[in-house]
Amino acid sequence: MIEILETGPFNTVQDLGRPGYRDIGVSASGAMDSLAVRIGNSLVGNDEGAAVLEIQTFPFRLHFTDRTVFAVTGTDGNPVLDGIELPAWCAFTAEAGQILELRQPPKLARAYVCVAGGVDVPSVMGSRSTSLRGGFGGYAGRPLEKGDQITVGAASTNIPLPASGLAVVEPSIALQDVVPASPDGTLLIRALPAGEHGLFADDGKAFWDQTWRISSRSDRTGYRLSGDAIVPTQTVEMRSHGVVPGVIQVPPGGEPIVQMSDANTAGGYPKIAGVIECDLWRLGQARIGSRVQFVRSSHAEARAVEKAVERYIADLRQTIPMVKRALKAMA
Amino acid sequence: MSAIDFSDPKTIAFLTEALTAAGVDGLEISSASGNLRIVVSGGESHVSHGVKASSKPAVIKAPMAGIFQPRNSASADLPHAVAAADVLGFLRVGDVLVPLQAGHSGVLNRRLIEPGTLVGFGDALFEIEAQS
Amino acid sequence: MIATVHTHMQPLTVIPVVKDHARISAIGSRSFLLEAPGEFDLPAQRRIWALSQTLKGWTDLAEIIPGMTNLLAIFKKTPDDPAEVIDRLSKAWHGALSIDLAGKTIEIPVHYGGQYATDLPALCDLSGLSDREVIRIHHEATYRVFALGSAPGFGYLHGLDPRIYMPRKTVPSLKMAKGCVTIGGMQTGVAMLTGPNGWNSIGFADLQMFDPQSPTPAMMAPGDIVRFLPARIEL
Repeated sequence: MIEILETGPFNTVQDLGRPGYRDIGVSASGAMDSLAVRIGNSLVGNDEGAAVLEIQTFPFRLHFTDRTVFAVTGTDGNPVLDGIELPAWCAFTAEAGQILELRQPPKLARAYVCVAGGVDVPSVMGSRSTSLRGGFGGYAGRPLEKGDQITVGAASTNIPLPASGLAVVEPSIALQDVVPASPDGTLLIRALPAGEHGLFADDGKAFWDQTWRISSRSDRTGYRLSGDAIVPTQTVEMRSHGVVPGVIQVPPGGEPIVQMSDANTAGGYPKIAGVIECDLWRLGQARIGSRVQFVRSSHAEARAVEKAVERYIADLRQTIPMVKRALKAMA
Repeated sequence: MSAIDFSDPKTIAFLTEALTAAGVDGLEISSASGNLRIVVSGGESHVSHGVKASSKPAVIKAPMAGIFQPRNSASADLPHAVAAADVLGFLRVGDVLVPLQAGHSGVLNRRLIEPGTLVGFGDALFEIEAQS
Repeated sequence: MIATVHTHMQPLTVIPVVKDHARISAIGSRSFLLEAPGEFDLPAQRRIWALSQTLKGWTDLAEIIPGMTNLLAIFKKTPDDPAEVIDRLSKAWHGALSIDLAGKTIEIPVHYGGQYATDLPALCDLSGLSDREVIRIHHEATYRVFALGSAPGFGYLHGLDPRIYMPRKTVPSLKMAKGCVTIGGMQTGVAMLTGPNGWNSIGFADLQMFDPQSPTPAMMAPGDIVRFLPARIEL
């Protein structure tokens, strides 16, 4: 059992989401940084999609009532276990009674607490993700609150975690060859032109050329971008159509909105672009107030990045048990 | 199989050649009688033998083979105090990192291996002076 | 990436095919939106339903989301060659014969007027009709569920009488109640969640239409026929 000792608003139980129900109006939800969830679960010996805690407001503290293997991923800050600062992206064994504390990360937005056995809340429509808008899934369909007692599933016992723990080279480093970086720290996010791209002057030049600021009116549903407004050269009457996270819509005010994990399933504003899926985890770690610029990509590039990410995860899922077995044999 | 004499220059030359051929920067071997450390640099090998002192400091050894990555690559801050649970560095195997915990509280005096070196099982990595 | 599809007459269709072009565009790396040409009407939607049936046989698709005379196809992975995907979607659109879905009939009792009908006076002003006439026109029509979306279980209903069309608000109501019977442009529907809503409320329906614990969570499905019954009129 995990007991929540301290939490800010909007921290929730998430997994890789419930895609497949958008045709009945149900958002997929799921972690904003899905890569952190897949890696954290791999470290603690779970299936990639086991449920975790998504922490986006800090400080956050929890109490392990039992001996628990856990990993904190996603964040660039270090978790603190009973006052000792530990590396992130690393699985450790917490003893019964120990307290895990997550402080505000230096730059990134979200930390994931992954536990061996997974967070055991009921699966609703194939997922344990919290649907905040629908009020179902996750922990009682709502954000975590102080005093919540969360059940942890039975951990697979085949290969034990080494006593000193086990970590990974985090994706921003392991995947740096396929992740664009800008010298001034602006987050570069790759996107493809979408349906109404041609309605914006000079092929959307003003959209691609400027750096946008992620406004304070941003959350898991979407990021509103502040900058020089972009307006289509003609107005079109749009019929409601399905959308996915990453779609960049331009409402009448001219400031784009990027739909994120809790994206509405339907939309009707002109779409200027769509973020490639393999960059969504990076955008999911962008904080309010940070700067982002969109880089025009191609399907071929998106496919290449997707393959690199899948290769990285596949290698981890193969190497982690191998290393655990080697350490067990040599211990 | 008889014990290999690691103080034998021929053995050292052979190991040095093998390490150079393998592109490995160095090797450290601990045995009951002491330890051997070979660091390959620019085709030359530097060999140092240490004799174990009776009141020796705690040595953190590699739990398996991997590339040594201290958590803090600068050694200028040494020595400094460490707690038993502190992670001093990692051994890298692919994209997996094996944490190297201090295991003892005390003073971290020395890092015995250069960052980025491929080390083998049992190689000494850190030296910690136990707190009395 | 944007492509157009030119359709030809389908000799076997019962309902004449629109001889216009469909539009296919990408949303991100693995989703493609196909928009039917022509009017926002039942014949166009019937072809979308037919396309949806065809696409259910594609093993490389993760999700199919029919919208209002359009369809979003989400693939399992980013295609190596988007042109091939667009070509395949175009061919499927060419081959999509109009079908009619055998929907069930859903009757929704409505409390017209009253505290939830916050936009009824504005609709009377806009239409020049009395509140009684607006309500009669609304409940006498037969509606068709075109698609679900936007909120869990929310059905976009087609069949609204043009006399009571009312544009969506430019500034949404911040906290419209779940159950409000609303008009948005040429569509009508029942709000499924309490929250911000840009549609115009003329009444209230106290009917559970979405249950996440059920094997079929949404009561409505595309093709269903919906009638609103005036359970109470409070003016």
